[in-house]
Amino acid sequence: MKELVRVAIAIVVISTILLYTVNVLEKSSATSGGGTISVYNWGEYIDPELIRQFEEETNISVVYETFDSNESMMTKIEQGGTTYDVAMPSEYAIEKMKENKLLQPIDHALIPNLKNIDPYFLDLPFDPGNEYSIPYFWGTVGIAFNPTLLDGQTFESWNDLWDPSLEQEVILVDSAREVIGLGLNSLGYSLNSTDMDELRAATDKLKTMGPNVKAIIGDEIVEMMRREEAAVAVIWSGQAADVMWVNEDIDYVVPEEGSNLWFDNMIIPKTADNVEGAHAFINFMLDPEVAAQNADYVGYSTPNEQAIALMDPEVTEDKRFYPPEELRERLEVYENLGLEMLGTYNELFLEFKMDMEN
Amino acid sequence: MAKLSKTAKVYLVLVFAILYAPIFYLIFYSFNSGGTMSSFEGFTWEHYGAVFNDTRLLIILMNTVIIALLSSLISTAIGVLGAIGIVFLRNRKTRKAVLSLNTILIVSPDVIIGASFLILFTLVGVKLGFASVLISHIAFSIPIVVIMVLPKLQEMSRSLIDAATDLGASKRDILTRVIIPYIKPGIFAGFFLALTYSLDDFAVTFFVTGNGFSTLSIEIYSMARAGITLTINALSALIFVVTLGLVLGYYFFNQRAGQSPGTGGAKL
Repeated sequence: MKELVRVAIAIVVISTILLYTVNVLEKSSATSGGGTISVYNWGEYIDPELIRQFEEETNISVVYETFDSNESMMTKIEQGGTTYDVAMPSEYAIEKMKENKLLQPIDHALIPNLKNIDPYFLDLPFDPGNEYSIPYFWGTVGIAFNPTLLDGQTFESWNDLWDPSLEQEVILVDSAREVIGLGLNSLGYSLNSTDMDELRAATDKLKTMGPNVKAIIGDEIVEMMRREEAAVAVIWSGQAADVMWVNEDIDYVVPEEGSNLWFDNMIIPKTADNVEGAHAFINFMLDPEVAAQNADYVGYSTPNEQAIALMDPEVTEDKRFYPPEELRERLEVYENLGLEMLGTYNELFLEFKMDMEN
Repeated sequence: MAKLSKTAKVYLVLVFAILYAPIFYLIFYSFNSGGTMSSFEGFTWEHYGAVFNDTRLLIILMNTVIIALLSSLISTAIGVLGAIGIVFLRNRKTRKAVLSLNTILIVSPDVIIGASFLILFTLVGVKLGFASVLISHIAFSIPIVVIMVLPKLQEMSRSLIDAATDLGASKRDILTRVIIPYIKPGIFAGFFLALTYSLDDFAVTFFVTGNGFSTLSIEIYSMARAGITLTINALSALIFVVTLGLVLGYYFFNQRAGQSPGTGGAKL
C-alpha cells in the first residue's frame, strides 16, 4: 500500500511540475493586455514567426490550433464549446457555413490592408462582395509530371492525358469535382456545368481514359510522385509545389483549356469571442511584408498584389504557380451547385470508377 | 525453461526486426539534413534544435504527458475500487450485467465515444480543453483498469479475508493490508495500460480538444496535410529514447530492490 501511495504522490508531483512549466512557457510566449484570439488553421499553414510578431505588435495573444479537413473544422465550430475567432476554410466550405449561418460579416472598415489584394481574387461567386471571407492563399488544379520517366514528354492540354503512350501511368485525385471537371474542361465546357448532356459527354470521355489510369487516390499522390512510382498525376498546385520541392525533375502545368481556381480564406465564425481582435489579425495577415514572408514559408500562392512585389521574382514569375492574365481568364472557381447536382457529380464519378474496374 | 531451437531464435529476431524497423527508419531520417524522408543527404542536429525552439510543440508534448499521467492515476483509483465492488457483488446476475457493461465500453469504437463526449460536453456547457480531454481519458481508461485488476481479485482466496476478519481486522484494514497488496501487480498493469492508451489516443481526443489545448496525436495528424516535417522524427526519436531509458531504469531499480516476485510490477 505504501508503495502505491508513493507512486501516486510522485505522479502528482511530476504532473504539477509539468503543469507549472506549461504555464510559464505559455506566459512567456503570450503578452498580456490586448486580450486573446484563437486561430484555427490547417496544419503547417502559417509561419509561426508571424504569430509572435502579431502578438508583439498588438499585445493580443494568439491561441493557435490546427485542423486537417474542412469537415472537421466545420463540426467543431458548429458544435460550439470552443470559441474560434479566425479560421481558414476552403471556398466550398465557406458557402456551406454561410448557409448554416456559422459566419459573421467582416467589417471592411477595420481591414484597410484589403486594398493590397489583387482585385481579381475579390468578389467571387462563393462570397459576393467578400462579405464573409478574405482570401488567404490560392491555387489551381493541374497536371504534375516527371519528364525523365516519360522520355521527355510534356503536357499542355487535358487531352494529353489520353495519349496512348501513357498506359498505366496517370494518377487521379480521388475527388468528384476535380475529375469530372477535367473531363468537362477537356471538352471545352464549364467546370460548373449543370447540363446533363455535357456531364454525360464528359463522363463518357473520361471512361476512354481508363487504360491510362493507374490509380485514383488521395494525399498519397505526393509521396508516390516523390518516389517516382508515378509519372503523371492530376493534383492541386500546392501539392505539386511540395513534390517539386523534393524532386526537381517534376514539372507542373495548368492545362490551356482552363482549370479550377481554389481558395483558402480567412473567416470569422459566428461563435467568435474577440471580433475586434479577429479583424486585427486578418488585417495583419494582409500586410504586404507579412503576406510575403508567409507565402515564402508556406509555399502556396498569395493573392496579395503588394506582397508579390516584395517576393523573390523567380517564384512570382513562375507561370505554373502565378499564372499570367490570359490563363487566369480560363480559370474557374467552383460554384455551389446545390446538393442534388453535387449528388449527380458524385454518381457520375462513381460510374467512372466502376467502369475502370472492368 | 527449455532452450530455444535455432529456428525459433531466428523467428524471434525476425519478428522484432519487423517491429522495430519503422522506428529506427524514422530515427535515422531525423538526422537528415536533406529535409525529407526520401533521400539521406548528410548528418545534422538541426531538427533536434527545432524541437526545443518550438515552444508550441513542447507545450503540446507536456500536455500529452500530463493528461496521460493524471488520467491513468485517477482512472486506476476509480477502476480498482470498481473492480473490488464488482467482485463482491452478491447477486451473480447483477455481477455479470455490470461486467458486460464494462466490456461494452472497451469494445465500442473510440470514434463513437469521442462523438458522444463532444455532444455531452457542449450540451452541459463544459468548455473544450484541458478538463474535457482529461475527463474523457479518465472515462475510457476506467474499464481497462477494471479488466486488468479483476483476474487478480478473482484469483485471491476468500479465506484470506476470513482469516483477517478472524484476527480482528477492520474493513479498512482488510482493504489496505490484504486486498490491495495482493492485487498490486494488477493495479500496476492497469495503470501502465491506461497510460499507453491515453498517450496513444487519437479518436476520442480529436473530438474533445479545443481552445488551444491539443495533444501530440492531434497535432501530428493535422501536420500530415502539408507533409510531416523531420521535426516530428526528431521528437519521436527523443520520446523513444526517454521511454527506453525509463524501461531500463525500471529494470535496474527492480533488480536492486531485490527479487521479490509477486510484488510491485515485477511481473510487468
